[in-house]
Amino acid sequence: MQIAPSVSNPNRPRRLLRFLLGACALVGVSLSQAQAGGVLTVAMTAGDIPVTTGTPDQGFEGFRFVGWSLYDALVGWDLSKADKPSDIIPGLATSWSIDPNDHKRWIFKLRQGVKFHDGCAFNADDVVWNYARMTDNKSPQFFAQQFALNRGYMTNVANIEKVDDFTVAITTKFVESLFPYTMSYIPMVSRCRAEELKYDWNAFAMHPSGTGPYRFDRMIPRERLELVPNKDYWNPARVPHQDRMILIPMPEAATRVAALLSGQVNFVEAPPPDTIARLKSAGMQIVTNVYPHNWPFTLNFVKGPFTDLRVRQAANYALNRADFVELLGGLATEEYAQVPPFMPYYGKPVRYEFNAKKATELLKAAKCYPCEITLAISTSGSGQMQPLPMNDLLKSQMEEAGFKVNFKVMDWNAMLEIARGGVDKFPDIDGYNGSRALVDPVIAVIKPVAKAYWSPAGANWGHFYNADIEKLVADIFTEFDDAKRMALLTKLHEAENEQAIMIFVVHDVNPRALSPHVKGFVQSQHWFQDMTPISVE
Amino acid sequence: MLALILRRLFYAAPIALGVSIVCFSLVYLAPGDPLQAVMPADVTPDMVEMIKHEYGFDKPIPVQYALWLWRALQGDFGLSIGSRRPVIVDVLGSLQNTLLLTSFAVPIAFVIGYSLGAIAGCFPGRWLDRIVTGFAVMGVSVPNYWLGIVMVIAFAVELSWLPATGMGPRGSDAFSIFSLDDLRYLVMPVFTLSMVPVGIIARSTRAAVAEIRGQDFVVTLRAKGLSEIAVIRHVLKNALPQVLAVMGLQFGYLMGGSILIETVFTWPGSGFLLAKAIINRDIPVLQGAILLLSLVFVATNLVVDLLQSAIDPRIRRA
Amino acid sequence: MAHTLAVSTPTDVDPDVLPATIVRGYWQSVAYRLRHDPVTLFFGAVILLIILAAIFAPLVAPYDPYKESVIARLKPFGWRGHLIGTDELGRDLLTRIIYGGRISLFMGLAPVLIATIVGSALGILAGFGGRRINTIIMRTMDVFYAFPSVLLAVAISGAMGGGITNGMIALSMVFTPALCRISETATAQVRSLDFIEAARASGAGTFTVLRHHVLGNVLGPIFIYASSLVSVSILLASGLSFLGLGVKPPEPDWGLMLSTLRQSIYVNPWICAMPGAAIFITSICFNLVSDGIRAAMDVRM
Repeated sequence: MQIAPSVSNPNRPRRLLRFLLGACALVGVSLSQAQAGGVLTVAMTAGDIPVTTGTPDQGFEGFRFVGWSLYDALVGWDLSKADKPSDIIPGLATSWSIDPNDHKRWIFKLRQGVKFHDGCAFNADDVVWNYARMTDNKSPQFFAQQFALNRGYMTNVANIEKVDDFTVAITTKFVESLFPYTMSYIPMVSRCRAEELKYDWNAFAMHPSGTGPYRFDRMIPRERLELVPNKDYWNPARVPHQDRMILIPMPEAATRVAALLSGQVNFVEAPPPDTIARLKSAGMQIVTNVYPHNWPFTLNFVKGPFTDLRVRQAANYALNRADFVELLGGLATEEYAQVPPFMPYYGKPVRYEFNAKKATELLKAAKCYPCEITLAISTSGSGQMQPLPMNDLLKSQMEEAGFKVNFKVMDWNAMLEIARGGVDKFPDIDGYNGSRALVDPVIAVIKPVAKAYWSPAGANWGHFYNADIEKLVADIFTEFDDAKRMALLTKLHEAENEQAIMIFVVHDVNPRALSPHVKGFVQSQHWFQDMTPISVE
Repeated sequence: MLALILRRLFYAAPIALGVSIVCFSLVYLAPGDPLQAVMPADVTPDMVEMIKHEYGFDKPIPVQYALWLWRALQGDFGLSIGSRRPVIVDVLGSLQNTLLLTSFAVPIAFVIGYSLGAIAGCFPGRWLDRIVTGFAVMGVSVPNYWLGIVMVIAFAVELSWLPATGMGPRGSDAFSIFSLDDLRYLVMPVFTLSMVPVGIIARSTRAAVAEIRGQDFVVTLRAKGLSEIAVIRHVLKNALPQVLAVMGLQFGYLMGGSILIETVFTWPGSGFLLAKAIINRDIPVLQGAILLLSLVFVATNLVVDLLQSAIDPRIRRA
Repeated sequence: MAHTLAVSTPTDVDPDVLPATIVRGYWQSVAYRLRHDPVTLFFGAVILLIILAAIFAPLVAPYDPYKESVIARLKPFGWRGHLIGTDELGRDLLTRIIYGGRISLFMGLAPVLIATIVGSALGILAGFGGRRINTIIMRTMDVFYAFPSVLLAVAISGAMGGGITNGMIALSMVFTPALCRISETATAQVRSLDFIEAARASGAGTFTVLRHHVLGNVLGPIFIYASSLVSVSILLASGLSFLGLGVKPPEPDWGLMLSTLRQSIYVNPWICAMPGAAIFITSICFNLVSDGIRAAMDVRM
């Protein structure tokens, strides 16, 4: 694509020279970038770059690409295997144990020799400081945004105190045998950097510092975030193999696919099922794996038709889940319960197999016919799959059974705000379509039903309450024997299905599309993924 | 001349004020509580109080407007609900990117449209005229964002000649017009953006040229023995002011109306920002972006007006 | 529109040769010109077809626009009786386009109609009402005129939350200022014409003057301008739908269909072209017809 210089132009030789020099520079730059390792360019489903000030927004996709790149938590996840479910492993804490004299007190031993990106050393003071940052609005480091984003995880944290330089004691509000999972969602940010920037969190967002495997390089708000490897990462096995990871928000599925096909990106989240054939024929790698995910509607138990069990059951009977799987080109599995069948506490839950007539009968019995409901749905988002066509299908199936469905369509982050705000703030919403990460038993089966997690303190959005289930939860939290606890969890799962606590639709299989040049990616059975072993040739 | 400028400025000020009133009232057009419209949903109660006080929601509406205007004049449009960054930073940054698109699209549209219109105007009624007019009509009738989608499929996906989205491989702040690699990202957005202006400019030029050709002085020129080419040159020169005015208006239009194209090409301009603000119901960004874009439009009209008066004294109106 | 000048027109004389009388014979000459303009006639017929198809959609369309079929998604032209294939939920595309015409045409015509009524009323009021009323009305219109149309439509519709009603309100507000200006200018011009003075001198009241003389001469330019706005309105409305500010799914609407079908481009590119083509064709037709109307009516402008 040469621009021919004009013949009669006396500046021609000079212009030509400048042009040639420019071209050489371009070639030089691109050559120098083509080292081993390469540049990984990721197209995320998020509508904006997840915030870099600690706990990210934009759901678990925010953690996947930004949170766990820049930061670590006390507890980590093993993301190295594709054939086994993922579980927690030591992170910034090397071990944790419960205080035998006080079951509400957990002792975490911290890893030594860890440094933040700015060089400061990590120790117990940082943990206590971070806790104040998220909870204590009298402290100078308090940041309201992080308070809001973390509130759901802090439900059961009463206090964090330093025992010695490398030991902290975390006190919970109620006995919770599964507590360590909670600490796996809370990133530790650098106190030194925050103090250096005089607690200006907007500035911190552009100069973040954590302990994670990636360092911040540059960010253009709303457009891209560029990260480079942290060569001094405390886990040498997880120093990134790429030279650079670029994260680009692309909430429109069509745009993501176009970007992959034209070579602008080489790693794409959630390609639409319709495009898989085309992607494959263009040589792209399509990776899928089971993972603890579901795509349900979380319901309102305070007000509206779903307060009646029969209406909830009717909604579940109304769905022909096979159609959804077909719509998604086979990139999903039918969902009849809170967790997918491969989870250890699945048990034998009641199955609401497709039966439109039964649904109609139930609605009539509940005197809600036609049953008008308002559902909040998003246009895209982490784990949301293809929300618009799927909800079109949902609406037509539910309306056949006798519902009248009104949708409130919004951006993913806006829906997360509804989720965090809780049913008290949004009483007229009968249900919202938020994908759920079922990564640990607390999130999967306990938080949605226990009173302690009533929103906005936790994830029990609709204020569900049932005395029997409450008792089960209490038993689980005080049961420290793994086998007995598993049996109780299974019972809980089955009870939740009897109560039809959500509208169950499908489980995702986490499809991703990668360019053929991307090597080394292991897709774990988890929402979080390890981006560090990837190289681009 | 100075008096003219001052008079026009004086005239434009109330318009700008009116524009600001319309922007301010957008918050009240939004369904629901105006306070909800400027806050994220998961905000804490004491933050609610703080925002209420700062925005003056507990005061009468004219006072609120005055507060809002006062802050706006200082460049403070509040914080974006989604990103919690200052609105002015986001809006000005994105405005630059739209300016880039428009700066390319308008001159290109002018050159093409003017040439086509001149040809059509010189041969009115003949088949050349019909073709050009037909082309111009198509230009203003096509939904240009649809054309953009089709071009993305054809040139980016199928042929891989041009990139599908975005503003340069290194992001918008590294974009350089001296880099061929970056310029490739401009090609399709600029082309689709210029479709409508080409049509409008072609039509205006055709009308202007046809009208001027029929005027007396042209007959006189011919009678004096000037060659046809020289006559055409005179005609085109005289048609220029009117068409320049149209071009200037198109510039303002494109600055304000680029939202659809920018959405299709994910071009991080002010239109794209606006589209996202609408989806996210980010009212502060909506207000800030619309106010600034409209003021750009008002300013553009003003400049065009003044330039026209300067170039062609006959147009100077009272 | 009363014709008060009693000039008789011999029927065997070519109307183009007649002196340009202001009122009588004008509409005849307009009709004559239109009749002999093949382009306008042809595209006018196409518009009529489109409108009729939209109105009688249930009779004309082969399928149900809401009936989905998961197995029949994104099928090509002619597949099992679907003339132009199916959309991403298995609905017949031709049916959706025909039904979609209802909303798209409605959003093209209704705002222009509303803006014409409101705009001309305001303009005539401004033209006749004296300096103060004129200033208030025209300066208010100037403020709205100061917004680029896409921006204003998006802003109002976006702030109000989208939907057909809000879209209609938004688009009407976009078009009213221009129509108000046209009618004010035309009114001001007509006011000063001699025959108005004559009518007034002969004792006709303001209202009579308005009805008999002004309306006839002002409505002409208004009608011409309004007809040129219809295609713009269709484009703007489809743009609003494309951005998600129009009807909500599963209602068929051309702009919305363009947006939802974007993903399906990789399976069947022509699918996405169809709603866009529908918008394009409709818009061109209105454009050409309005051009023809202007050419026919614009003799003395």
